[in-house]
Amino acid sequence: MSWRNPQLRRDPAKGPVHPHLPVGRRRWWPRLRAHGGNTWRRMRYPLTRRHVLWTRGEYNPRNLAAEVRILDKRPLWWMAGLAFLAIAPLLTDDGTILSAASIFAIYAAINLVWMLVIGTAGITSLATLAIVGAGAYGGAYLSITYDWPWWSMLPVGGAIGLVFGVIVALPAIRLEGFYYALLTLGLAELCRVYVVQSRVFGSATGGMYGAATHIPDDLSDTGQLRFAYYAAFALMLCALALYRWVDGQRLGRLLRAAPEKNEAFAEAVGIDYRRARIQVFIISSVALGVIGGFYASHFKGASPSLFSMDSLLLMLAMIVIGGIGKAEGAVVGTLIVVAIDKVFIDLGALRLILIGAVMLVSVLTTRAGLFGIQAQFRAWREKKKSERRARRQEKGGEVVPEEATEIADKQAIYHRRFDKQMRDFLKTLVTDEVVEEHRLKPLGQHSEALSRLTNYFRRGPMADKYAVFTIVPMREYRVVALSGQRGVPPRLVNDRTYHSLGDAYHAVFLLRINDLLES
Amino acid sequence: MIADLPYVIVSALALWAIYGLLAIGISIVWSSLGMINMAHGFTFAVAGYGAWLAAQYVSDAGVVVLGAGILTGAVSGALIYAVAFLPLHDKPNFIVRSLIATLAISLLGTQALQWLFGPRVKSLPRVFGNTPLELGEIVITADKLGAVLSSTLLLGLVLLWMTRSRRGLEIRAMMQNPEGAALVGIGLRRTAMSVMAVTGALAGLASVLLSQTFFVSPGAGLQPLVKGLIVALCGGLGSIPGALLAAGLVGITEAATATWLGGQYVLMTQFGVIIGVLLIRPRGIGGLLDETRE
Repeated sequence: MSWRNPQLRRDPAKGPVHPHLPVGRRRWWPRLRAHGGNTWRRMRYPLTRRHVLWTRGEYNPRNLAAEVRILDKRPLWWMAGLAFLAIAPLLTDDGTILSAASIFAIYAAINLVWMLVIGTAGITSLATLAIVGAGAYGGAYLSITYDWPWWSMLPVGGAIGLVFGVIVALPAIRLEGFYYALLTLGLAELCRVYVVQSRVFGSATGGMYGAATHIPDDLSDTGQLRFAYYAAFALMLCALALYRWVDGQRLGRLLRAAPEKNEAFAEAVGIDYRRARIQVFIISSVALGVIGGFYASHFKGASPSLFSMDSLLLMLAMIVIGGIGKAEGAVVGTLIVVAIDKVFIDLGALRLILIGAVMLVSVLTTRAGLFGIQAQFRAWREKKKSERRARRQEKGGEVVPEEATEIADKQAIYHRRFDKQMRDFLKTLVTDEVVEEHRLKPLGQHSEALSRLTNYFRRGPMADKYAVFTIVPMREYRVVALSGQRGVPPRLVNDRTYHSLGDAYHAVFLLRINDLLES
Repeated sequence: MIADLPYVIVSALALWAIYGLLAIGISIVWSSLGMINMAHGFTFAVAGYGAWLAAQYVSDAGVVVLGAGILTGAVSGALIYAVAFLPLHDKPNFIVRSLIATLAISLLGTQALQWLFGPRVKSLPRVFGNTPLELGEIVITADKLGAVLSSTLLLGLVLLWMTRSRRGLEIRAMMQNPEGAALVGIGLRRTAMSVMAVTGALAGLASVLLSQTFFVSPGAGLQPLVKGLIVALCGGLGSIPGALLAAGLVGITEAATATWLGGQYVLMTQFGVIIGVLLIRPRGIGGLLDETRE
């Protein structure tokens, strides 16, 4: 019969049951089997040094198998999500869902571009929809009046966006924070009032309709909806690529290093934040203008509701629910809000109340929206854990489970546990009789209890171990504590002088007993 | 053109009074609580409905309607305090989160009003009667006269309260330095509560006054909110004299533009003026407070 681990539970049918105890703070990372020769191989995007997946090759300490650990799982989620979005419209032919899906894709594109300004650059610009609306109105106007084809709306929208970008970028350098938010809010309101009152832009009909569209007429209704969705999906992918291109590269890093209130610091380290902000404003405004042109082509026109406060609030709700500063926040937040808005259409005005309530709850409870919950939860758990650790009164030198996961040498953990149990037992042996016995006979022949105690004391570590220091032989002794370090002299423990060796031994014994009882 | 001048002056005065009420509310809230109250427009709309309900079910005497509007405004301010300020004021990233929270209240509240009262607009009874005041050739309508007088009265009371009373002193201490105020024993939450209630009352009064010319509707708060915000911005957030000056400037611009150029150009000229002011003084006319707050 071989040795059996007594801590391993056994199932009579299946053999040992390995307990997976969810203890500690180590995070679970997915691991893939790998070959030792491929430990350092990476998949990279062609012509760049960027990794497709951030992985680390390592050896499992238990069985020394080569493994690849995926350190960032987000690309996998993105792939799964985008694959779902790509095949989703084929699964249904419900007109409401299909048209809601294309609205989702367009709004997600707008939000992704907006996220560059509000998240990466950290500037609260509320003129986003105004730029989209201006692009849409410009494209629709040219298409209706001069019969321009649909694809011309995109560059026209881009050009209008460029003009607007310059207009909104200039105050952004000089104004800050709220002044800028309010100014852009006013700009949106100005556009709305102008469009509502202007006869050229259809004040009588409540918008401009009849522009050219990229959706072919000769498809069936469902086919048209699907075509529209895939076009919008492609737009969203372009916006995603733009987000990635700006946020993940030099410009994004410069901007994230120079958020509001930190401009002075950024300038001190040599970042020209004004230039970076103008760049991001112009890039995002052009992109928003192009999206506006696409919008006009998609809806065959434009309506003043684009400029309204309610639409702006809806867009803001999307971004806030998802989480500011993350591309996945923009997309998932849009998905949630569009789902509430279009799927519960029977609820009427109540669904806007619902969206407002979700937005309110998310801003009151979360620091950075849906995708900040994980980090917030971890921080909260760490806080609770350390509170609990601080509250724990009696630890007695034993390793607590939270600490245990951080100590690589497991032997040390068991040693400290054994030591604690040992001390608990030894404390019961300390009695007046034992102390009296030691006083009478410091050097032995001792009783069992006393010899257990002295054996334990002898075994202690060198650091802070008590010793007797002879000042004058046979006349003067003092108690010192060893430093435990070579070259560092021992320190005196107290100012008592003992006149016989026996007294000094007993004094050392009493100090050790005292330390034992106090531990 | 010159003949319109008295009319322009009178309407500029009326607008000045109303914008002053709105902008001072926003300005005080920003400087003492550090929060941009985007739900000020919601308070405005709620107060309008409160006044309308009082006129319908209690009495349509001017005092009752005005009082109901002011009271509903104060209650709405306290509500915004409880929902947006109280849970967030000691949390990280307070400024942006409170901005978003008040925007959410504004969205939620406007839709709730629409759901409760329907989209049809309501009109308030004439609070100040119908007899116009005639000074020579100039005819001042009762609502404009009433607006100027009542808002001057209430503003004067509020300013007196701010400068003379103990609570006013606390509010001014909080405007200068919130941490310092807390250190000398000023209750941040209690003071914030009174600030929100008073600014809500100001918005309520402005709502009743403005509803003499316009109507009460769920979305009625948006225009005054935007106007109030830009006036507060132009005056410098946190500066009461600055807000009053800016309200005068914007009121004159609006009255002059509406009379001589046409109503659709009002917002544009206003923005022109405000952008001009902000380009010269990026923190508004009287705004130095941002630096002292930090």
